[in-house]
Amino acid sequence: MKVSLNWIREYLDFELPATSEVVAKIGAQIGGVDEVTELGPRYERVLIVRVVTCEKLENSDHLNVCKIDDGRVATDVERDEQGFVRVVCGAANVRAGITVAWLPPGATVPSSYDAAEPFVLSARPLRGVISNGMLASPAELAIGDNHDGILELEGDHEPGASFAGAFGLNDTIIDIENKMFTHRPDCFGQLGVAREIAGIFGQQFDTSKLYNTDVQAVHGDDAGRLEIRNEIPELVPRFAAQIFDGLTVAPSPVWLQTKLSRVGMRPINNIVDVTNYCMLLTGQPLHAYDYDKLLAIDGVDHATIVVRQPHSDEELTLLNGKKIKPRSEAILISSASQAIGLGGVMGGADSEVDDTTTRIVLESASFDMYSIRRTSMQHGLFSDAVTRFNKGQSPLQNLHVLAVARELLVQFGATAADTIYDLRTLPEDTLERNSLHPAITILPEFVNARLGLSLSGEVMQRLLINVEFDVQEQDGALIVLAPFWRTDIELREDIVEEIGRLYGFDQLPHALPRREITPVRMDSMLELKQTIRSVLSRAGANELLTYSFVHGNLLDKVGQDKQQAFKLSNALSPDLQYYRLSLTPSLLEKIHPNSKAGYDRFGLFELGKSHAVVHADDTEQMPHEYDRIAFVYAADSKAAQQLQGAAYYQAHAYLMVLLDKLGIAERASLVPLESYDYAGRDKLYTSYYAVGRAASIFIDNHCLGQIGEYTAASRQALKLPDYVAGFELDLAMLLKHASSESNYVPLPRFPKVVQDITLRVLATVTYQQLYDIAALIVREAGNRTYWTLEPLAVYQSSDDSEHRNISLRLSTANYDRTMTDSEVAVILDAVATAANQALQAERI
Amino acid sequence: MRTDILVRDMTYQNPQIAEVAQLLNERFTGLDTKSDILRAVELKALYDQIRTLEPAERGPFGQELNQLRAELQTKVDAVIAEASALPPLDITAPFDVNARAPALLPSEHGSMHPLMSEMNRVLEVFQRMGFTAVESREIDDDFHMFEALNFPEGHPARDDYDTFMTEQKNGEGKSYIAPAHTSTMQHRVLLEHKADLEAGKPIAVVIPGRVFRNEDLDARHEHTFYQLEGIYVDRGVNAGHLIATLQTFLQEYYGKQLEVRTNPFYFPFTEPSFEFMLSCPFCDKAGCSICSQAGWIELLGCGMIHPNVLHAAGIDTNAYTGFAWGGGIERLVMMKHGIEDIRYFESGRLDFLRKFV
Repeated sequence: MKVSLNWIREYLDFELPATSEVVAKIGAQIGGVDEVTELGPRYERVLIVRVVTCEKLENSDHLNVCKIDDGRVATDVERDEQGFVRVVCGAANVRAGITVAWLPPGATVPSSYDAAEPFVLSARPLRGVISNGMLASPAELAIGDNHDGILELEGDHEPGASFAGAFGLNDTIIDIENKMFTHRPDCFGQLGVAREIAGIFGQQFDTSKLYNTDVQAVHGDDAGRLEIRNEIPELVPRFAAQIFDGLTVAPSPVWLQTKLSRVGMRPINNIVDVTNYCMLLTGQPLHAYDYDKLLAIDGVDHATIVVRQPHSDEELTLLNGKKIKPRSEAILISSASQAIGLGGVMGGADSEVDDTTTRIVLESASFDMYSIRRTSMQHGLFSDAVTRFNKGQSPLQNLHVLAVARELLVQFGATAADTIYDLRTLPEDTLERNSLHPAITILPEFVNARLGLSLSGEVMQRLLINVEFDVQEQDGALIVLAPFWRTDIELREDIVEEIGRLYGFDQLPHALPRREITPVRMDSMLELKQTIRSVLSRAGANELLTYSFVHGNLLDKVGQDKQQAFKLSNALSPDLQYYRLSLTPSLLEKIHPNSKAGYDRFGLFELGKSHAVVHADDTEQMPHEYDRIAFVYAADSKAAQQLQGAAYYQAHAYLMVLLDKLGIAERASLVPLESYDYAGRDKLYTSYYAVGRAASIFIDNHCLGQIGEYTAASRQALKLPDYVAGFELDLAMLLKHASSESNYVPLPRFPKVVQDITLRVLATVTYQQLYDIAALIVREAGNRTYWTLEPLAVYQSSDDSEHRNISLRLSTANYDRTMTDSEVAVILDAVATAANQALQAERI
Repeated sequence: MRTDILVRDMTYQNPQIAEVAQLLNERFTGLDTKSDILRAVELKALYDQIRTLEPAERGPFGQELNQLRAELQTKVDAVIAEASALPPLDITAPFDVNARAPALLPSEHGSMHPLMSEMNRVLEVFQRMGFTAVESREIDDDFHMFEALNFPEGHPARDDYDTFMTEQKNGEGKSYIAPAHTSTMQHRVLLEHKADLEAGKPIAVVIPGRVFRNEDLDARHEHTFYQLEGIYVDRGVNAGHLIATLQTFLQEYYGKQLEVRTNPFYFPFTEPSFEFMLSCPFCDKAGCSICSQAGWIELLGCGMIHPNVLHAAGIDTNAYTGFAWGGGIERLVMMKHGIEDIRYFESGRLDFLRKFV
């Protein structure tokens, strides 16, 4: 929202302090300031001059040589004996006697002021005649698009007067964030912001300076010229209008054009400019229909305006030339026979004001903000009217704003018709109290408790009255009635905000809330995640984050079912179309770029969430969210050679480090992935693992997740190296089983005996089978013993693929005495016997 | 093998191509040398046919034909890939046959993601100040994103949140939503702690989470980012408490005295609402590149929780008041480390990740 300080000064009864102070106070008490622009420098040296003589330049079909009177104000410029300055001008409207804006040599063309290389004028020859600077067009003066001729100034001006000074262009424009005014439709007008500024400076504001006439609907003798029917009063609570005759469409006076242009509005013509002026001043958009076009459309001698919803397949050509089929619930303005406008959004082309217009119907209506917003969004139409109507303009201001427009139009030569039409469906009590919501009774203590202040009722009253609230005091309570333009004052908390803001939130005492010193409970899931981060990063892996949304191709590449993935209907690009079903594919995607960047081996992990359609109903009727941890390890072929063995075991090593730190390594078991027919959720997680080289991880019959190498197809599709493996676990399951119990066992005081055993087994016997038997025997062998049983080697001879030799190392000690080698040998003999019986293992 | 999952037969609009596609797909199963399918005469004939078509038809026909060839190529690739599949492993073993036990990567290569590390630092300070933490959801609904937060249907404030929505709908026929702020958790947290509140314990919760906005990417804008939300509700809580709490947090976080100030702002779920600024901790208001020479940094949005939000959770607004705030984590990390491009965070690039501990 651009605010012109010069414009609002017209409504203030006090001197504003320095701009920096005003800006700081606006920031602290109205809303964030995006930008402050000083317009003055742009118009420095631009002078008002009178064209004294104007003669055709020889050898030119359009140039004129003018003598101008600048009151001898400009310096360093060549003058004739009368003190006039010569300027060559090509504008068609240049002629002796007119008053215009002159850019003398050395002045910058205002429209080029913000350009990388502003255009600075000089004295230079045109067709052999020296021209001192130039006479400026509206476009060059940055007050419109008009390039066709020079700007003619009305009114009496002293030759040599500052152009900026005469037209308020030595202005400061403060751009306040629109967002702050989402609930303040009144602040989408200069008037509203002026009032707020008065309020924050503790000054009384008086809106009746502008809204100064008695406003009433009038049924005149000429009421028959226009019939208005409102078929949708629930969407259009008020529709006021008046006919104006005897208009001549022309450019607006320069004071009006510059006022519009200062706050970024392009001047069009006097009728359109009046509607825009009123909107910029009050926040209430107006719309002008060409009365004669309305008659012509219906082919009768009186105009009809119907406010209704569109018929099916009804079309409308808008002002911007676009032809639309308005959405079925839009607010349509129509004549007796056809649509003429999209109410509150954009007028229609068929009833548009143009150069031939002499009679208009001026509309000042209120539209339902939600309907306006939906229409605007659906048709992609964003206008200044939409910006204001979709905040919900007060339906108590229509006739006031119509009166402001009427005064200007009459000033511009129009005749206002007698009848003021005013169709409204506002509740009687709203009209009676002239405020949208009932008065609010509020105790000063209520306000103070919420602001941490101790203001008196009188101070609060003053603050509110300054911005024209009606406040009565009764038994210590304040009875507060908002002025008619305020739509946002409904609750006591709204009054608290108002008082706090006008008083100054920067004045609030800062004190910490007090609470009991009971310790807070930590979130166990967040703690688990932090533990995992710390364990894996200490183990040399890198935590990364990838997007929650993936490309459908990625799901295809790893064989996941897209139908199971939540799909975005408004994705930015196909890259981000689906909620991911698991984290691993996102990690796999990051391997190739990192390998290419020169990293020969690395581990990546991510903690994140996954979602699938199949779990679309938890207790909240919401898709279930799974918290997961995924890890992948990759090495290029060179690094892989040094690493030996399959990548699977690398991932396995990381898995075991993690489970060990969580106290569950002992209880976890690995089961070949292919030994189950996975259904539902688990199937989503298993599609990319290679058969025979992947496993599911179980604890107490609960599946924690999967570990393994990936299918050749996935590897190929994602350009993965051969050496790659990883795991992905469900964090809720981990949390459920993770143990905070210590794994510590007391250390023996007596020496340890260390002995190894190697057993030859069929290749189909797993390590785990053998280990479990050995561990059982060792555990049962002794009371009061300390032991560890660790893998030493797995050996397979190149000429015997049927068998493997598995070596284990037993370290053991007794807590009460020194163990002998032979005691330990007996244990290992028992291991060999048991393994032989159960697995036909042979001791080597 | 799993090629059945990977490659589904596609459908073709052109009847001729569809016919050949079916024929070749049937033939494929019986072929010994699978790549022969790419040299099928039927395929070549279709390619030859392009020249004879009307110019307008050539494009669509050629595209479909290329699609068919790509489909066949994928099938061939998949078979070749599976043929090169490796023998099964003993998945229970700690290491491979004839191989050493795998060594972990050097510890000094390891790193935690800077966003996560910073989030933890922030959480840790708030936990010391007496706040519990709960993570936000990544898929949510209109009710929690808007309605429970006093944004009725069609409210213009909704425009400020370019929200991703799913094609799938919930029981009420409404799309699910990728939350655009962590405030989606406010209603849940208020409900969950209401009984405690009434038993005399303040609600003091912070909510870290990943949020999404439908925004184009550039060096300063991400569609995916992290926020931390905070809520405090008790008897007698006022706006001064809000400012003091945030100031205390920031001073602890930055380890120095800081000035703070507020701009009035508008959020539907707080009244009054503020933008919260702090004096630049990097230059102590002298002006530096981090604060764009302003001396101040705009860090978060906050306000007193709107009575409608408390009402929605059944909390008596005469007895209780509260405040809430929310801010982004990326900003903190970028300012702290001088990170120039927000897109690095989700890039997965090791040269970025390994810069952090």
